[in-house]
Amino acid sequence: MGKFIKDRKPQEDSWMPYTGLEDIDSLPGGDIYIPMEEWQNKREELLLRNGKLGVILENTDDVAALKDDLDRLDLIVLQFPKMADGRAFTQARLLRERYGYKGEIRAVGDVLQDQVFYMQRCGFNSFELREDQDIPSVIAAFDEMTVTYQPACDEELPIWRR
Amino acid sequence: MYQYSQADHQLLQERVSQFRDQVQRRLNGDLSEEEFKHQRLRNGLYLQLHAYMLRVAVPYGLLSSNQMRTLAHIARKYDRGYGHFSTRQNIQYNWPKLEDVPQILDDLAKVEMHAIQTSGNCIRNTTSDPLAGVARDEIEDPRPYCELIRQWSTFHPEFNFLPRKFKIAVSGATHDRAAVAVHDIGVRLVKNDAGKLGLEIYVGGGLGRTPMIGKLINPFLDPHDMLTYLEAILRVYNRLGRRDNMYKARIKITVHETGEDKFRELVEEEWSQIKDNGLRLRDEDIENIKAHFKDPEYETLSDFDADYDAAILSDPEFAHWADKNVELHKKDGYRVVYLSLKSRNQPAGDVTANQMDAIADLADKYSLGAIRSTHRQNLVLSDVKLKDLHRLWKELKSLDLATPNYNHLTDLISCPGMDYCALATARSIPIAQALTERFDSYDYLNDLGDISLNISGCINACGHHHVANIGILGVNKKGVEVYQLTLGGSAREDASIGKIIGPAFTADEIVDAVSKVLDVYLENREDETETFLTTYRRLGQAPFKERLYG
Amino acid sequence: MTLQVYSASLLKEGLVAYLCIDEDGISWSTDLNKATAVDENSIDSLKAEAERSEKENIVVGAYAVEVTQTANGLEPVENRERIRAYGPTISLPQSGSGLSGQHAA
Ligand code: SF4
Repeated sequence: MGKFIKDRKPQEDSWMPYTGLEDIDSLPGGDIYIPMEEWQNKREELLLRNGKLGVILENTDDVAALKDDLDRLDLIVLQFPKMADGRAFTQARLLRERYGYKGEIRAVGDVLQDQVFYMQRCGFNSFELREDQDIPSVIAAFDEMTVTYQPACDEELPIWRR
Repeated sequence: MYQYSQADHQLLQERVSQFRDQVQRRLNGDLSEEEFKHQRLRNGLYLQLHAYMLRVAVPYGLLSSNQMRTLAHIARKYDRGYGHFSTRQNIQYNWPKLEDVPQILDDLAKVEMHAIQTSGNCIRNTTSDPLAGVARDEIEDPRPYCELIRQWSTFHPEFNFLPRKFKIAVSGATHDRAAVAVHDIGVRLVKNDAGKLGLEIYVGGGLGRTPMIGKLINPFLDPHDMLTYLEAILRVYNRLGRRDNMYKARIKITVHETGEDKFRELVEEEWSQIKDNGLRLRDEDIENIKAHFKDPEYETLSDFDADYDAAILSDPEFAHWADKNVELHKKDGYRVVYLSLKSRNQPAGDVTANQMDAIADLADKYSLGAIRSTHRQNLVLSDVKLKDLHRLWKELKSLDLATPNYNHLTDLISCPGMDYCALATARSIPIAQALTERFDSYDYLNDLGDISLNISGCINACGHHHVANIGILGVNKKGVEVYQLTLGGSAREDASIGKIIGPAFTADEIVDAVSKVLDVYLENREDETETFLTTYRRLGQAPFKERLYG
Repeated sequence: MTLQVYSASLLKEGLVAYLCIDEDGISWSTDLNKATAVDENSIDSLKAEAERSEKENIVVGAYAVEVTQTANGLEPVENRERIRAYGPTISLPQSGSGLSGQHAA
């Protein structure tokens, strides 16, 4: 797989994206993530399967729809179809702060050095980087800024209350 | 004024290094122009018609004399010796080199200034009443609330890639001098009958292609809830705002398409889930910020000064200026002074480096070092003693900063238009200058009284033409610049969007057209106290139309 | 007869520049009269060079500009391009400057 960072370190990615689910028995083994819609359609059967399970959302999906299933999901993948499309920032924060999701939240799409700082603050902890990104520079970018004013997933209080 | 903490300084330093690195990556080709654009815009750097343009934030319009000197230094060292104050109270430089920008930002950081979020689809610099803290009609000082918004919105991780730009204005006086009704969010500090402070929250105002007046979505919000409530609005917008069509991406369209009531419901629902989190302001949070905006040590003075009265009697030119450009101050013996950036000799809002330095010196000498910028592209010295006015006026006059036209016809707003702006469809500055030249007589301006005239060089409406009593919009008609006339707008507490009166005029005709509009007013007003706007609202378009096209 | 030149902004300075091709190779000049003007049929060669300069991070936002040959040299057809070529039509603020009207409305 491509360039992947998790918990601020370059890692091997164990997850496989999977779509076109028809027959549960035909599913590959190992860790897979599937589109939200397929999860909703085949939820019961999918839960019987061994191996870890993740879901990938469209950035227009309401994360509230997953709120009762969060402890069954090891991975939630959120998308940045374009760098300028910031809807997934809200999705990630809601998953972490409102629904208490503890698993992996992954950014895919236009995942770039100059955004990972904001992504991590919103609760993303893994990143499928776009192919042209330089891994050491991206890792350095997590600490490019150390001052934060407002509460987010990494800080419960604004700067004036810390 | 707000004093930077260690953390504020550090943040600016980190931001400068980050941008230095981004520029380097751009220059050596690691960043494409498309991606760099998002980064440079978040630092106020545009690529305009002739050159880069750097927009420096003037947080809610407050400047110290030292900051003004740095602005002068930047104009001189990195630019062509001048800057331009915009309708967002910020200052723009028209000619910086990309390579120099990191150093400019470094120089700015030394005086607690920056260009953070002065552009891009993020929460922009908050604007406010230029008379905050000194106005006689003030209900509550808006500056502490602006500062809280500044901190909350700076590098907000969730709202840095919104569907479109996002502008917030806060006003705390009876009279709205911050145009809150035409902002994405407008906040008005008000008191209820019991004397309790609350916030009116307006959402979805804005100009541009689809001008709209903001909708009151909360008539009395507890100030402690301000930031959680703003966060709820932004969250709803980030989720629902349109991203398929740039012209429909502003929150005004979201509110319009969702419906005001439904939008309010969504905000309230979101807010109910976050209203008690760490962002809720406690009394001490507000008090701590308020401590930064304490009154300076005013002297106890009489509100009469014999020398001033004598000067008024003996020097009619001074008397004109004092009548137009000086306003009462909340403290007796002090006055608020408007420095007109609308002389005949320079484009509206432009200031040379020499003028900036001189203004800084005058602020130190006469105004406790404090300067403000206004959304009508003027500057303010906020704390001048009555007894110093005559001396100050003489110095301002020699600097060409004393045109007696505040809130009068030639105190017009003009965007840079096609002389600078890459998006323009027509020029605005030459029209502004032609008008200023034609309507030069003090007596005539005085007779016209309170009136606003704004010019934009394209439908983006940076010149706020929709909310002027007389608005002019430059458009391109088959390669020729023509100008549409809009009447009846207002940006104040009685905000309204003006209406186009009819077919556009050529550059040669537009000044005469304005003249005719003014004639109709002068001939039809009930008496001298009836303003242009009131007369227009009473008469409607018909007599104006008749005179222009009849 | 109208001709075409290629224009862009210099990446480092941001200034307006025009593509010049001669025996020494290609360069970008802020002077429109140094620009290489071609008729419509030959525009592709300019386009290719301009795009190369963009890739090499020398210029940004290259596009073709229509010009005519006049006694004073090349002159853009459109108002906007004339302003780009000659600068703002108003006098720039300098201490002591007055109104100008070189080609003001
Ligand atoms: S209104 Fe148009 S021409 Fe004027 S500054 Fe804005 S974008 Fe440029």
